[in-house]
Amino acid sequence: MAGPPRRLTGRRAAGAALALLPLLFLGVAFFWPLWDVLRLGLQVDGRWTGERLQAALSDPYVRRLILFTLEQAALSALLSLLLGFPLGWFLTRYRFPGRGLLRAFTIVPFVLPSITVALGFVLFFGRSGYLNRFLMAVLGLGEPPIQVLYTLWAVVLAHAFYNAPVVARFVNAAWERADPTPVEAARTLGARPLRAFFTVTLPLLLPAVLSALALVFVLCTLSFSIPLALGGARYATVEVGVYLYARGVVASFPRAAALAILTLGLSLVLTYLHLWGGGTFSARQGGVGLAPTVPLFTRSRPSRALWLLYLLPAAVVFLGPIAAVIADSFLHPAPGGASPTLHWYRMILSPAWNPFIESSPLAAVRTSLVVGGGATALSLVLGLSVSAVLRRVRSRVLETVLMAPLAVSSVVLGLALLLAFRRPPLSALGGGWAIVLAHTLIVYPFVVRAIRPLWDALDPALPEAARALGASPFIAFRTVTLPLLGGGVLAAGAFAFALSLGEMTAVAMLSGPGVMTMPMAIYHFLGSRDFGAASAMATVLMGTTALAAWAWDRAGSRWLKRDGASADSRPPAENAPLSFASPPGGGEGRVRGNPPPSGPKPSTSRSAARPFGRFHA
Amino acid sequence: MRKLIGFVAALALTTSAVAAEQFVVYASRSFVRWGPAAAIEQAFEAAHPGVDLVWVAPAGAAEMLSRLIAELSTGRTDADVFLGITAGSLPRALAEGLFRPFDPDLIPNLAFVPDDLRVDPSGHVLPFDHGYIAFVASPALAEDLLPRSFADLLRPELRGKIILQDPRTSETGLAFLLWTVAHFGEDWPEYWRALLPNLLTITRGWTEAFAMFEAGEAPLVLSYSTDAAYAYLTVGEAKYRVLTLDGEGYRLIEGLGIVRTTRRPELAHAFIDIVLSPEIQALIPTSQWMFPVHSGVELVPDFARLAVVPEHPVFLDPGEVAEHLDDWISQWQALLGG
Repeated sequence: MAGPPRRLTGRRAAGAALALLPLLFLGVAFFWPLWDVLRLGLQVDGRWTGERLQAALSDPYVRRLILFTLEQAALSALLSLLLGFPLGWFLTRYRFPGRGLLRAFTIVPFVLPSITVALGFVLFFGRSGYLNRFLMAVLGLGEPPIQVLYTLWAVVLAHAFYNAPVVARFVNAAWERADPTPVEAARTLGARPLRAFFTVTLPLLLPAVLSALALVFVLCTLSFSIPLALGGARYATVEVGVYLYARGVVASFPRAAALAILTLGLSLVLTYLHLWGGGTFSARQGGVGLAPTVPLFTRSRPSRALWLLYLLPAAVVFLGPIAAVIADSFLHPAPGGASPTLHWYRMILSPAWNPFIESSPLAAVRTSLVVGGGATALSLVLGLSVSAVLRRVRSRVLETVLMAPLAVSSVVLGLALLLAFRRPPLSALGGGWAIVLAHTLIVYPFVVRAIRPLWDALDPALPEAARALGASPFIAFRTVTLPLLGGGVLAAGAFAFALSLGEMTAVAMLSGPGVMTMPMAIYHFLGSRDFGAASAMATVLMGTTALAAWAWDRAGSRWLKRDGASADSRPPAENAPLSFASPPGGGEGRVRGNPPPSGPKPSTSRSAARPFGRFHA
Repeated sequence: MRKLIGFVAALALTTSAVAAEQFVVYASRSFVRWGPAAAIEQAFEAAHPGVDLVWVAPAGAAEMLSRLIAELSTGRTDADVFLGITAGSLPRALAEGLFRPFDPDLIPNLAFVPDDLRVDPSGHVLPFDHGYIAFVASPALAEDLLPRSFADLLRPELRGKIILQDPRTSETGLAFLLWTVAHFGEDWPEYWRALLPNLLTITRGWTEAFAMFEAGEAPLVLSYSTDAAYAYLTVGEAKYRVLTLDGEGYRLIEGLGIVRTTRRPELAHAFIDIVLSPEIQALIPTSQWMFPVHSGVELVPDFARLAVVPEHPVFLDPGEVAEHLDDWISQWQALLGG
């Protein structure tokens, strides 16, 4: 693997110069704005003090926000486990047609914009939603039997929808890697299957399960769109609180900044605990080999009925909301029954100004694409230059600085840029740039994570040869290194694009008249209960995101196959969909999954090519 | 590089949606959805060729007002006029210095607005309509469950059957908070605590609350005393029942003001004069479903017959509101957890 070339002082100078570009960018677009937030939250009349934090913490409302945030995150993690563990088992143990498809399906929540999930939940689980209408018609009831919307459980269920597949992936991956001999030994020694499961298998899986729980807990703590759209006034999280104080409620930037600092602290603590836990768990992972895969449809055990009892509700929870969104986008509601229509699509592709989304719908679609393209381009440039710097200069401090945006939640990032765009130098830019910068900062760490290991795995002799033949460093990079990284860069770009398309948190903080993206337009349509328009926009958004995810998958897997750089034991094609290690958490809540300075370096290609590589490495 | 330039150009296109020749009005979502916004736009653009009137109304009035405050506190807003402020938010708006004083000479139609509707003696905010907050019941609610008093709203049979609005983001919701303060005095938090189980949800704005009510999500909603007239005049039957509580209804006067930072004050005055014109005011009752402020406008007979005027209109003194509102909101937030 490429060692850090430090022989020539000229090289080091070039490295320092190279480091200036990302440092300058991060300084203007990230550290300075973040400094504004810290000053606003921690300074009173130019004096540093904890008064604002104390005042916030002694406000019963803020305390409730914090408690509710933790409560719903814990419940969401447990429910995700309950829904996801059986799915993981199912995928590991049984062989059935469509297994690969179902397994690929577990990545869908990562690329599904969370606002579309919220919309789907309203349409599907609402009192007059599809599920209740169906049940009332079948059972002849006068009252809707499912009353989950407008309660805490709407938020929890939507989070479980997102994160059960995360748990399933963790469990599946751990199980397939687990050594089957202890279980076989236990069975040989006379243990019944259930006993063997509880005494042998479960302890083996426990680290993965705990890792998954911790990850889901972090994701749900920092979730924004779902509590915003489904929680009403009574169920708001800290992240929603920052937004409400900055843009909605009793507008108060100092209180918003104080809350932002609290949520920053919370996310740092959780990230630390999570990484610490993840490190411990992964150390206990060992063994090779695959669990036996039993054909599903030849068994005539009662377990089949049990699976149906699980699969049916799971299918309802997973597919119902999405199907409801797509169905609703093609239906015109009428008293006698809905009729098919393309009206909503004509409406959302209209160039006419819509006061309720403070943009024209068509412009919102266009802005999403332009912002996505801009953020993708910038994050690739930034990601490549950060990777280049970190290859040359192996410094933990520098790595922490260059990857710092990972530790900051999107809503805090949004607040920082909101403040920064009101003063020079950033105030010279249009409002759309704030969103582009926010998305760039959110996305580029994933680009770095994707590209660095690939770059490390590259034979250093090739660009060296180009240099020896007289090419300048830039030419050598452009003509040799970049083409060799090729598919990996393309895949990272497609992933960045998908992430930007679905992101709503930063947009909620930064949107304004004429500066509107698809997810936020869906939120506004949902707020004014224009369900048809919201559904049509959501269907377009899901389609575009799916297209980007598909491109990401293709680019990733084709590259992996051609290059064989993945040292993974599993076939590359199967790993490719998640080859970027950390899930984006539904396009907005991000995993702070970067190894901390103290952690192991992701220096092998294994961790890049495998989902959640860090946890199982 | 060519791509980058193309991208910059494209971004410039999207961000220049609000250009110089546009006149921007921040309004409540309900006004643009229901009220005579289209007619105002038409009249305004006819009188001022080359100016494009742009409504921005993605949220309830109180939320839009907070947004204006947030934007002005850091220097920049697109808004020229704000429409939808009520007496509850007025002290906050004045304290923040959101509006510039209007010049009565530039608003000839102001002469037709009765003095008792002019809520702002300081001359920053003008009324454009008024009405009363009341509860409205759908036919789904049994006759014997119709609440006639504050106590009736607490009946256990109404569990999960009421939709309210958030007083932090909706002027309607704020009016109900003030109403309970006016009715119960210092004991209002106890009443709210008892009321919480009966709430289906607290929405951000009136628009989604009323849409949920119309979709049948709940049979009771906090709305306006004119909703029976609305139902009668739109679907031909008085299907909604307007319910005053203990004979009370909270008095709501909606106003508009010229944003401090506008560069087009003469257009702003012209806009206000159009809103107050008899042609637009005549549209208020049957579109915005409120009472007009223009004294020369005759009410449609059915509207006059069905719009309920409460026996005891309630209105909290603006001075008291100015003094205590922050406390009340904090207390309200704190009791949300139940």
